[in-house]
Amino acid sequence: MKHSKLYDTLFLAPGFLIYLIFMIVPVVMCFLYSFTNWDGISVTYRIIGLKNFENLFRDASFYQAMQVTVIIMIVTTLIYNVLGIILATLLNDKGKLLGISRSAIFIPTVMSSVVVAFIWSYMVQTNGGVINSVIELLGGQTVDFYRTPTTTIFMISGIICWNSLGFFVVIYISTLSTIPQEIYEACMVDGAGWFQRFFHITLPLLAPGITINCILAVAGGLKQYDHVKVITGGGPGGATQTVTLFSVEKAFEYNRRGYSSAAVIILFLIIVILSVIQLSISKRHEVEY
Amino acid sequence: MRKAAIGGWIKSILVLIFALVYLAPLYIAVVNSVKPYSEIIKTPLNLPQAFTLQNFADAFETSNMLELYRNSIVITGSSVAVLILLTSMAAYVIARRRGKVYQALYVFSLAGIMIPPVVTLIPSIKTLSALHLLYTMPGLLMFYAGTYFSTIIFLYVGFIRTIPASLDESAYMDGANPFRTFFSIIFPLIKPCTATAVIFLGMWIWNDFLNPMYILGFRGGKTITTGIYNAIGAYTSMWNLVFANVMLASLPIIILYLSMQKLFMQGLTSGAVKG
Repeated sequence: MKHSKLYDTLFLAPGFLIYLIFMIVPVVMCFLYSFTNWDGISVTYRIIGLKNFENLFRDASFYQAMQVTVIIMIVTTLIYNVLGIILATLLNDKGKLLGISRSAIFIPTVMSSVVVAFIWSYMVQTNGGVINSVIELLGGQTVDFYRTPTTTIFMISGIICWNSLGFFVVIYISTLSTIPQEIYEACMVDGAGWFQRFFHITLPLLAPGITINCILAVAGGLKQYDHVKVITGGGPGGATQTVTLFSVEKAFEYNRRGYSSAAVIILFLIIVILSVIQLSISKRHEVEY
Repeated sequence: MRKAAIGGWIKSILVLIFALVYLAPLYIAVVNSVKPYSEIIKTPLNLPQAFTLQNFADAFETSNMLELYRNSIVITGSSVAVLILLTSMAAYVIARRRGKVYQALYVFSLAGIMIPPVVTLIPSIKTLSALHLLYTMPGLLMFYAGTYFSTIIFLYVGFIRTIPASLDESAYMDGANPFRTFFSIIFPLIKPCTATAVIFLGMWIWNDFLNPMYILGFRGGKTITTGIYNAIGAYTSMWNLVFANVMLASLPIIILYLSMQKLFMQGLTSGAVKG
């Protein structure tokens, strides 16, 4: 294979060049910016060491954003996985009706987050919103989802879940379909009930799916931007800002690129650390069969 | 046996009811997109009494829908095509060659998977502006190519390794150059993987909001998402127009999904589970 090296380069170079310019270099730049006071416009900037990080830890609005992000991450990860597993076990069966339900639940997943956020901002209105209209019809008390920043964040987490739950259900269904039916049959012969089968067979053998879904849900939850941006814009007064919203605003509206880069780096490190922890936990719990 | 069958039916019906309730927001969006404003305020839950398509006509005009569609189709189509071409070619070499250099390249190419897009967005704006590509579609395309390179190369390398190397070796013996070998033998064989990649990338890029917002801006052309965001922001409580916009933005992708459901499901699961 004489021309091998030349052809290899021709195959590899275009992709890797773009990857280098728009992934590796920006990541390095982001790290470097986080140690400077660059404003995004000036040609000159100073290296200020860890000052940005120090300031971030003193910035109440950053704490607030971190808190919001963590709440969204925890709530969405719980809903995706608990409801995802329940729905997948119910849906993982043959039959026309179940097939229709499967495709119905997946529909929101293909919709854009912006569109979903607009539909739901109508649904959850305090006056004349659909949810409150239904509650009134049933004779209940109107709910103000925007009452406090915390209730607003819980509401937005629910909306995010509505948008992507279908994806997690599909992953769980496909993991369930890899579990051999004979195990269940053997178990039923031994007289195990539904709950025993669920907790002693289904759940342990779902471990690979749980790992993937948890990593995706945690990383996705930490990156949230779109729904919050459309529904509250981060307000009132930054009370519902996520870290991504915080850094985008700092970078493009306040022209504090260095400061914003530091916030983004912290987010990135948290995602990496949590993913590594989850992977090592799941390695211990996966079952061979 | 019969008891189990009845149980199965009850379960199916309960699940179907759940699914219908789950889709209630879509029902609201559909029925209210064909009602006049006054009717939405009075009876938001009912089917339309005075059916009208005026909202769609208005939304189509005020949001400049045709332009939004055109921009989104051009950006999504070209980005997906470029990504498929660049990553499948690179993946082919990485999957086939042995040795430390290629192994290192593979690990290096996967580094981008964990990185949240917002990390690369801020510096990339500077790079793009230096290249005079900021606020242009080619600029956004290149940003996407860099962003999704890792994920897609990961899918391809795994898939190409399942294809026997004897196939391309024999083509090489017959005198085909590596380009021909790749495009006439390997590329057709990796179609299932390409389908997965197209579905993932298509959904991500079509629905992306943050990146087009800052890389294209409104100067470089609005996409469906940024255009809708901009348009609806202008008439916040004109719900009839909001819903017409929502429907216009969602219908193409929902129809696409419903008509290619099998492909969607297979694509997503093979990508996520094997990956």
